[in-house]
Amino acid sequence: MSNMFKLKLTALGHPNPEGFNCEDEKEYRSVVLWLEDQKIRHYKIEEREGLRNIDSDTWKEAYNTYQKDLVSPVNDGTMNEQLNWLLSYAVRLEYADNVTKYKDVKAEQPKQAAPNVVSSNPLDNLDFDSPAFKAGVERICTLTGVGPHPDPKFRLAAVAKILKTSPHPSPQTTDTFNINQPVDVLNLLFIQDLRELQTKINEALVAVQMITADPRTDTKLGKVGR
Amino acid sequence: MNVEGVFYVNSTLEKLMLDELRNSCRPGMTGGFLPGVKQIANVAALPGIVGRSVGLPDVHSGYGFAIGNMAAFDISNSDSIVSPGGVGFDINCGVRLLRTNLHEKDVVPIKEQLAQSLFDHIPVGVGSKGIIPMNARDMEEALEMGMDWSLREGYVWAEDKEHCEEYGRMLNADPSKVSLRAKKRGLPQLGTLGAGNHYAEIQVVDEIYDKFAAGKMGLERLGQVCVMIHSGSRGFGHQVATDALVQMEKAMKRDQIEVNDRQLACARIHSKEGQDYLKAMAAAANFAWVNRSSMTFLTRQAFAKQFKMAPDDLDMHVIYDVSHNIAKVEEHVVDGSLKTLLVHRKGSTRAFPPHHPLIPVDYQLTGQPVLIGGSMGTCSYVLTGTHQGMTETFGSTCHGAGRALSRAKSRRNIDYKDVLGKLEEMGISIRVASPKLVMEEAPESYKNVTDVVNTCHAAGISKKTVKLRPIAVIKG
Repeated sequence: MSNMFKLKLTALGHPNPEGFNCEDEKEYRSVVLWLEDQKIRHYKIEEREGLRNIDSDTWKEAYNTYQKDLVSPVNDGTMNEQLNWLLSYAVRLEYADNVTKYKDVKAEQPKQAAPNVVSSNPLDNLDFDSPAFKAGVERICTLTGVGPHPDPKFRLAAVAKILKTSPHPSPQTTDTFNINQPVDVLNLLFIQDLRELQTKINEALVAVQMITADPRTDTKLGKVGR
Repeated sequence: MNVEGVFYVNSTLEKLMLDELRNSCRPGMTGGFLPGVKQIANVAALPGIVGRSVGLPDVHSGYGFAIGNMAAFDISNSDSIVSPGGVGFDINCGVRLLRTNLHEKDVVPIKEQLAQSLFDHIPVGVGSKGIIPMNARDMEEALEMGMDWSLREGYVWAEDKEHCEEYGRMLNADPSKVSLRAKKRGLPQLGTLGAGNHYAEIQVVDEIYDKFAAGKMGLERLGQVCVMIHSGSRGFGHQVATDALVQMEKAMKRDQIEVNDRQLACARIHSKEGQDYLKAMAAAANFAWVNRSSMTFLTRQAFAKQFKMAPDDLDMHVIYDVSHNIAKVEEHVVDGSLKTLLVHRKGSTRAFPPHHPLIPVDYQLTGQPVLIGGSMGTCSYVLTGTHQGMTETFGSTCHGAGRALSRAKSRRNIDYKDVLGKLEEMGISIRVASPKLVMEEAPESYKNVTDVVNTCHAAGISKKTVKLRPIAVIKG
């Protein structure tokens, strides 16, 4: 946790991020005060009295009120969690104040320890944010009657659900070509796969036959009926 | 009636059908089977039936269910029933078609020898015995494994299994549910054709209606030679059905199942009797596939000997193998929702549309091949399944010509010498075990298969692909 604090404090420009010890009650309180004074500035200056009294017993009370006023989601959590949220909140505010300055900053790609796995499935490389993808999803959704949703992947999941249910709804006549063409392609690919599978099955059967087969006939047994 | 009863006919077939009804309604007509129209209606009144009770164009009266009747029962409904009469006594009677790369002109000069060779390899007739040695243990395994047994023993090719309905094996088969009597009857009969309307025919491609679908089946030119085998589970299936009927009469009393006709004996699908029958029926279906596979092997042998070429080199592949007497668990859309049904097809062939997951990969684009055997000496057809058939008839279509005259009536009205003479005139070689029964199978005793097939084509429940014409017939 302390490493995380160090990173965030450095980012916020704290004078002594290296020396900060979160276990020390006094240092903790002073960091909270520093955040409110320098970064968050939620209260007017005169309202910050409660937080400024670092040595007072009432500081704790003031800190709780402060968190409630900020609507912190972790005001029931541990001290460290509370501080971590405050730090993140401060970072967020800092970024919001200077979007133009920060938005082009790119994090340096950390060196990958594992070798790059090249995916053979073309669908893995699909750009889900591309306009072409979104337009395609939009078209399928109108055909299948799936309602609007901001996330195209979510809508695609809904379409998949519809396709899995059978019997399928029959397409509107105006759109049959749009549906039938890809369906035909998929059917042919499927049949090709199936043929390969069936051939392998037949080969396996023939291999077993080499061991088991012993067809015999005995004409002496034959008898023609009346 | 719980659902509607419907039947598909053209004007000629309609007349035959209504004549049958009119005759049976004449005063003094008792005994025999009820007419097909009434049987379709009685089936429509069975518990748990969904959709419609469908009569196909070749429909004629049979035991309980009309032959050419399909009916589907909702498995999730605890009242739903399974009925041996809805499957028939010849369980998994079916048709298999082999192709060759021979042309009519290669075969015609040695047609007689080829017919004789087939006749020598495939024993036919009532009481015939097969030439593939089998003991009781082989039989148990064959009942459980179906075509996988033939494959393991080396009687068929891996590709044969691929091109067979259900891949030649019903997985729920349980030989322990089959009586000893049935097994004893079945054991010597494996690899035999049987009698009645069963046959093996050497046929040639006479007309191609759908070039693409025919091409997918390897039928590419007129005059190409094929072999059609029409057979079933012989005495084995008959005994399984007979045994089940006895059990079911008890079950009906216990569960208070009411039906309109005593012949419609049935049991709830989820009852012990229902499950036992389905397991025994599956074993009989496996028997029939082993039987047709054995005859495939024997046919290949006969051709290989005559042409002194390996069956591989003669390209003797199985195009497809259909069952037209069977009950199967299938998924269908009923009133917009997916349901698991027990589909009874008696004298009715499954005809699944393109892209159905249960048909072989080679026929994914054309739809399932449907093999329609004609009557002796007339033509046969290959059709394909359609989407319309899937929605209208639960993916079912006709199975053959269908009788027009009863067996007794045929014997009275037709002379067997005339029948044989006529076939000879048409240039068809024939080998029969019992010539005196030939008039029962004379084309005059049957409906016109072309009428039947055209009606199915016009109704859109299946599509004409190829017409085949016989040049040699082997019969019981």
